[in-house]
Amino acid sequence: MNSRYGCETCFSADKPLEGFIADLPLETSHHRVASQEIKCGFGLQGVCCRLCANGPCRITPDSPKGICGANADTIVTRNFLRAVASGSGCYIHVVENTALNLKNTAIARGAIKGPGALDRLCRLFGIAEPDMYKKAIMVADTVLADLYKPDYEKMELVKKMAYPQRYKKWSELGILPGGAKSEIVKGIVKCSTNLNSDPVDMLLDCLKLGISTGIYGLTLTNLLNDVLLGEPEIRTAPVGLRVINPDYINIMITGHQHSMFVDLQERLISPEAVAIAKAAGAKGFKLVGCTCVGQDLQLRGAHYTEIFDGHAGNNYTSEAILATGAIDAVISEFNCTLPGIETVCEELKIKQICIDSVAKKSNAEMKPFVFADREKSSREIIEAIVESYKSRRGNVPIKLLPEHGNDETLTGISEVSLKKFLGGNWQPLVDLIASGQIKGVVGVVGCSSLVSGGHDMLTVALTRELIARDILVLTAGCSSGGIENCGLMTPAAADLAGPNLKAVCKQLGIPPVLNFGPCLAIGRLEIVATELAEALGIDIPELPLALSAAQWLEEQALADGAFGLALGLPLHLGIPPYITGSKIALKVLTEDMEILTGGKVIVNNDAVDTANILEGIIIDRRQSLGLAASA
Amino acid sequence: MRHVIIGAGPAGINAAKTIRGMRPDDEIVVISKDKYVHSRCMLHKYISGERNERTVDFADENFFETERIEWKSEVAVTGIDAAGKKIICDKGDMTYDKLLIATGADSVIPPIGAMRAAPNVFGLRNLDDAQKIRGLAANAKKVVIVGAGLVGMDAAYALLELGKTVSVVEMMTCVMAINMDAYAAGAYQKRFEDAGCSFYLGKKVCGTGTSGDLVTSIELESGESLECDMVIVAVGVRPSVGFLAGSGIEVERSVKVDAHLRTNDPDVYAAGDAAGLSGIWPNAVKQGVTAAKNMCGENVTYDDIYALKNTVNFFGLATLSIGINAPEDGDHVEIREDRRNYKRVIMRNKTVKGILLQGDIRYSGFWQHLVKNEINVSDIKKSVFDITYGDFYGVDARGQYEWRVSA
Amino acid sequence: MKRIIIDAEKCDGCKNCSIACMEAHRDQRGGGLYTVDLLDPAIESRNVIVLDRKGAYTPIFCRHCDEPECVLACMSGAMHRDKESGHIMYDEERCAACFMCVMNCPYGVLKPDRATGTRVIKCDFCANDNDEPNCVNSCPKRAIFIEEVV
Repeated sequence: MNSRYGCETCFSADKPLEGFIADLPLETSHHRVASQEIKCGFGLQGVCCRLCANGPCRITPDSPKGICGANADTIVTRNFLRAVASGSGCYIHVVENTALNLKNTAIARGAIKGPGALDRLCRLFGIAEPDMYKKAIMVADTVLADLYKPDYEKMELVKKMAYPQRYKKWSELGILPGGAKSEIVKGIVKCSTNLNSDPVDMLLDCLKLGISTGIYGLTLTNLLNDVLLGEPEIRTAPVGLRVINPDYINIMITGHQHSMFVDLQERLISPEAVAIAKAAGAKGFKLVGCTCVGQDLQLRGAHYTEIFDGHAGNNYTSEAILATGAIDAVISEFNCTLPGIETVCEELKIKQICIDSVAKKSNAEMKPFVFADREKSSREIIEAIVESYKSRRGNVPIKLLPEHGNDETLTGISEVSLKKFLGGNWQPLVDLIASGQIKGVVGVVGCSSLVSGGHDMLTVALTRELIARDILVLTAGCSSGGIENCGLMTPAAADLAGPNLKAVCKQLGIPPVLNFGPCLAIGRLEIVATELAEALGIDIPELPLALSAAQWLEEQALADGAFGLALGLPLHLGIPPYITGSKIALKVLTEDMEILTGGKVIVNNDAVDTANILEGIIIDRRQSLGLAASA
Repeated sequence: MRHVIIGAGPAGINAAKTIRGMRPDDEIVVISKDKYVHSRCMLHKYISGERNERTVDFADENFFETERIEWKSEVAVTGIDAAGKKIICDKGDMTYDKLLIATGADSVIPPIGAMRAAPNVFGLRNLDDAQKIRGLAANAKKVVIVGAGLVGMDAAYALLELGKTVSVVEMMTCVMAINMDAYAAGAYQKRFEDAGCSFYLGKKVCGTGTSGDLVTSIELESGESLECDMVIVAVGVRPSVGFLAGSGIEVERSVKVDAHLRTNDPDVYAAGDAAGLSGIWPNAVKQGVTAAKNMCGENVTYDDIYALKNTVNFFGLATLSIGINAPEDGDHVEIREDRRNYKRVIMRNKTVKGILLQGDIRYSGFWQHLVKNEINVSDIKKSVFDITYGDFYGVDARGQYEWRVSA
Repeated sequence: MKRIIIDAEKCDGCKNCSIACMEAHRDQRGGGLYTVDLLDPAIESRNVIVLDRKGAYTPIFCRHCDEPECVLACMSGAMHRDKESGHIMYDEERCAACFMCVMNCPYGVLKPDRATGTRVIKCDFCANDNDEPNCVNSCPKRAIFIEEVV
């Protein structure tokens, strides 16, 4: 016998991590996969309905309808719309806070780190105003005004942000969204008890929510953050558990709302704070990146070299990061803050602080982020963390994994920095695609789950398959965290690519997988897609491009996915999002969607099969564009 | 030890199998007047051509070889000498140490007109009946069936399948009157009529019209005359025990047996229709097994004499009937009916005396136990139709179900 | 003989065993529970969960009885005990659809098939799979499990 908590931990694509977790004396999500292996078949197929007191109703050959008369199609699509509306709510919450933080910063005449990004937004929005702060306020207000519109009033920025051909298509389909928050309410109302029973109507609503989620929750959150936090700059950075330096007071951050950390991250490197840390026996403070807010810090890492140690890992790496014992506090403001970190924190005496109540953890101290009180609250947070450091260090075991991850992950990629890297326009990329040296592009995005073979298993295996087929992979979300820890974002990974892509990578000194950062940056990938379509004078569905949310986890991912479908992209999912109980939902999403938007869902849990399917789509589209199948 | 079994029906075959299981080295002989082992419940499927001699066999494949049983087919037993432990056969006599009489029963052909003698009038009891019917059916157009019990209806179904013009004559006012009530029977009658069958219910046969040896019409008391090329008589059976006259074995209507299925001769047993205890397949099987155990020296009694049960399945409509079929004074009848189901329960003194399920008969096996054992259901606070085995659910130490009935 | 032992107190009525059974008895395997057509009458479950008089779940699974009434009642030889496994097996080819087995199962486990009414739905212990019966593998509560009984 040994000190391992359990011997049935799930697989990880990241083998050192898999071994590290297997050895832990603590329980993590990876330990619980086996005990949750038996899934409810009705749940899996989305045909369990609990919308009224008559439920739960489930569909079987003997009971093909719920008591109310809802059939499998209605039950599945109601559940699906509910999930998409919730997911949309999450991202709209993020963009709302981001816009408010930008506005409040501008009112307070605080630092605007991305003036270039501000100018681009002003041009896009049609704002002509010389004063930087006023411009920022107007930009934020424009976004907020749209978010707060009623559902019967269309949001104005959609037309300004969207590719015209797509806007026209959405308009034809009647899926231009009204106010984003109101649309969420409407979606939730639709799928409540004894209301909508029309599966197609509800699926169209999902697309509508996808558009508001994509343009506001994703794209605009990035662009507003660029203004406030500074634009991404391409560089290499260390990733993985190796970034944790036990000589510092370490704070792991989880969430999606980087703009809430502006004050704290400045204050943590102030001489006063460093003095407090030194007095406590540490060299200073470091933020350890985890989940998407960590990815956002990494993406903008050029601006935060002093406070930010690097990105340690994604959602299902968070427990391992804490289990090193070298983390003294967790600050959470959103998902993915797994409930499972609570027991780890308790065991290792790690202070938990929440700064946005939406992510309040049961044993965390609530320190709500209020812009006006930010300085006071930052001070209190620092005090609490120092206390934690003092009480726990020396009393809890430290178990580092310095060999985990790598030092050369390429990061800082955005639609702007990449174009700049290519020489200021997309022509070099267009040429590489046209010649077939890059056969096509797949965005491998979204989360990690533990069920598609294990942690990051499908994501990483699919990525390897794609690059081996000369397909350039762009990432955003927790997929980035997994893929980078597996080394596929180092320039040396070029050797894993097919001969043509490898040559391109070697020539440019880049990896075959380009990391755009947090899941919010799915919006950036979609800007790249839009600009490429524009450069070619075609519509997005004609591009040799696909999306894969191979290991989608959360409802947010479904809202993102709905945006991908609205854009007309093929969207791969490893496992179906609780829809297979409805023949109509399945048909609309996997077949008929091609007629509606040009997109479609592809469900496949096998990396090779999926790569073959996506490559097939890319080759078809290349041929439609008059391009050779490959170089 | 030499065990001889006369008859290769459910009682005989299962007795042979049971003896072999208990006595690996004993000699076992099965004698039958039939050429093939066959299930009489499937003879109609032989007539319709759905099955052949091989596929009406209900025994395991290569049964006699595998079980090392001597199979003497097409042998007619004409007498028994119980004192001499001898069986007298048309193809030579043989001896036994233990004997089981499982000769079944023969169709009764009433002595009306030329019915008993005519070569185109058949019972439907044995494979050779079915073979003859199938042979003649090739050229017959019109068939009259006398008796609308299960056997008559089976025959009617098979002949309809062959495209014959079928008329069924029945004294009772509905078909399958023993198995179900008139309402349930009506559902079958309708289906048969839709398939082209004519029914003459509440009518008696009083004579035959003939041409030479052949019966060419069946005459009814009502004055109607039904033309026919062939007649099948399915009005009942009589235990096949005639050969026992003078054998020393006591016979009344059937062989007289005690609770151990033993006759007045301690080495002679009887089971199945020959023993006259009950006329349905599962009971015959159990009697064969019980007799066999006793022949091997065990001391077991046969107590499952409950025979008020049957299932019917025609044209995709299934019916299950257990217990009494006609309520008596003071009984309480409940009916539940929908588009696809007709259910009737007869209640007496807090117990279910009869259950009839037509349509959905899934999960219905538990009713037999409930009815047979007169289990009090008054403490189950739901409609009697909604009772399931779950209400009496119990699992024993070996994982087998058992009935938990509150005292 | 192996028997599926039932611990009814552990059953939560999720019916996973039923879907698992449907999954195991469809023509085209693969795809797992996601692709089981829950509306296909041709792939009925061999097991069922009913409530007892107090509202507790009682899983009804074929016991492959020591004294199998279904076998004794079968007039075609379709219902038989497999000599190797000891399980009561059903040979659809031999069945004459008389449903005497349905009537004689004292626990109401058996049923005619819903799609055609021409055959009997009977547990085969997932004899075509190498593993344990699919239902047993699917139970999240271990309310059903395999034991060797003598």
